[in-house]
Amino acid sequence: MSSRARLYSTGIFALGIVAVGLGVSNPYEQQLLTIIGIHTLLALGLNMLMGYAGQISLGHAAFFGLGAYGTGIFTTHFQWSPWASLPVVLVTSCLVGYAIGRPILRLSGYYLAMGTLGLGIIAHVIFREWDTFTGGASGLVGIPPLVVGRLVLGLGRTGFFAVWATVVLFFVLCGRLVDSRIGRALRALGDSPGAAAASGIHTAHLKAVIFSFSAVMAALAGYLYAHLLGFISPSSFDFLMSIRMVTMVVIGGMASIWGSLLGASVITLLPEWLHVFSDYEMMAYGLILMVVMIFLPQGLTRGVLDAFQRARTLRGAASS
Amino acid sequence: MGTQKPFLAIDGVSKAFGGIQALYQVSFDVQERHIHALIGPNGAGKTTLFNVISGAFPPDEGSIRLDGTDIQGCPMHELVRLGIARTFQNVELFAGMSVLENVLVGCHSRTRCGLIGAMARWPWVVREERRARQRAMELLDMVGLADSAHKRAVDLPFGWQRLVEIARALAAEPKLLLLDEPAAGLNAVETEKLSRLIQHIRASGITVLLVEHDMNLTMDISDRIVVLDRGRKLAEGTPREIQSSDAVMEAYLGKKQ
Repeated sequence: MSSRARLYSTGIFALGIVAVGLGVSNPYEQQLLTIIGIHTLLALGLNMLMGYAGQISLGHAAFFGLGAYGTGIFTTHFQWSPWASLPVVLVTSCLVGYAIGRPILRLSGYYLAMGTLGLGIIAHVIFREWDTFTGGASGLVGIPPLVVGRLVLGLGRTGFFAVWATVVLFFVLCGRLVDSRIGRALRALGDSPGAAAASGIHTAHLKAVIFSFSAVMAALAGYLYAHLLGFISPSSFDFLMSIRMVTMVVIGGMASIWGSLLGASVITLLPEWLHVFSDYEMMAYGLILMVVMIFLPQGLTRGVLDAFQRARTLRGAASS
Repeated sequence: MGTQKPFLAIDGVSKAFGGIQALYQVSFDVQERHIHALIGPNGAGKTTLFNVISGAFPPDEGSIRLDGTDIQGCPMHELVRLGIARTFQNVELFAGMSVLENVLVGCHSRTRCGLIGAMARWPWVVREERRARQRAMELLDMVGLADSAHKRAVDLPFGWQRLVEIARALAAEPKLLLLDEPAAGLNAVETEKLSRLIQHIRASGITVLLVEHDMNLTMDISDRIVVLDRGRKLAEGTPREIQSSDAVMEAYLGKKQ
């Protein structure tokens, strides 16, 4: 996409968010939209790693949890201000991401999937078992909310704007990243690692850098999640969460910034819509995912764009 | 000028895969600004030697020196920075990218913008990007593909894809360019264009080492030729010397009765 097209679409997107934020006043809907925003951050970060650089991670909930538990522990056990813990959490996740990414990304394909799966499981065990700090299986309560001036950010309208402003910021940053020297190197790496190395790209370093970047985004999402909810428990950062993140990326569309938004929305909203199926809810959920993957294997974004393209060519053919 | 210091010195290089000796004690020198060809029957070890020189894997023994520096064990990306660029036998373009973007990836080792710089878009990053695009367009112009810059690289005819790959390699500003069978799959007209392009590249100061099966092209443009057979160096000399060598004829056509 050209940078001008990106600028316009992001501008329209931001206006849309302001409209929705002011228009929606039902607390349940506000909460749901805020969670979609947090999931969008998770999907976007993981998409940079999976969609662009072509490296899978089945353990990214570890970094989501690192952000949430990191700030949770600093602010409850050590009475830090949430604003003081933000840079510490981000820098820690960046360093931990690189330190883990450098060795683990020597693996590829199934082996990388297994390695990252292990990472997610270890992190979950730590969140659950290190009672002194994490509160164990019952979770960590009393995490203070973010305060800006006299404004307390909660799960309502204020939290909505805080989360979605972050999403817009990262849409801009990731858009710039994709259209840069680094973005091209990432896509080169995803397309053909051999040719990427022969073009002078330090592939091992680049993989660890983007792994670290996606870890920072996940940790930031975890940070926002912890301070908005005020309560976290290990079940939010388990293996299923990692899988849900991968599903958002794949369903929304690999290597697509808008796809991350779409994937996060669908995966968050689908269970809410499917309550009508009561006992058969999970079955319907699985069935819908299967149908999407069979008919739109490139994800919703690509699939919808292609259908649009086809409709236009058909109309063009009919009118001529 | 036989006493001139060699630009690329390959000395006693051996490489085995399992029980197969792909290269055995291969030594030869390449002079600066020469077009140097590697020929030999299939399985002679030509591509293995290319992979060793470009750092895809280290040799079992022997040494490789570029411009006096021992480059053995250098990782690939480091070798590109030192001035070695290559193309692939089967053309390895980035499928999801346009022709221009493919060449821009080639500029990677000569540009500096990192992850933070890309997101912040500092003024120097914008300038660097503009310069890289300009350079990439110049190279596409040189190989005659400026009009196709925004097409998807894999949608181009095969012969043109080879040219994109050469442009991508040149974007790394190499001192030594390794071309792995650049004429394979090209028709006569395209091969003629390629021959002129390779000579143009040499004239711009780049040393060229190529593996090639097209004998007309090889004999036409090479300054020196090394013949490999089953991993060993069989002969070395000017195109004329190679053409009149009995050993070479034997390797290609079998023993005279």
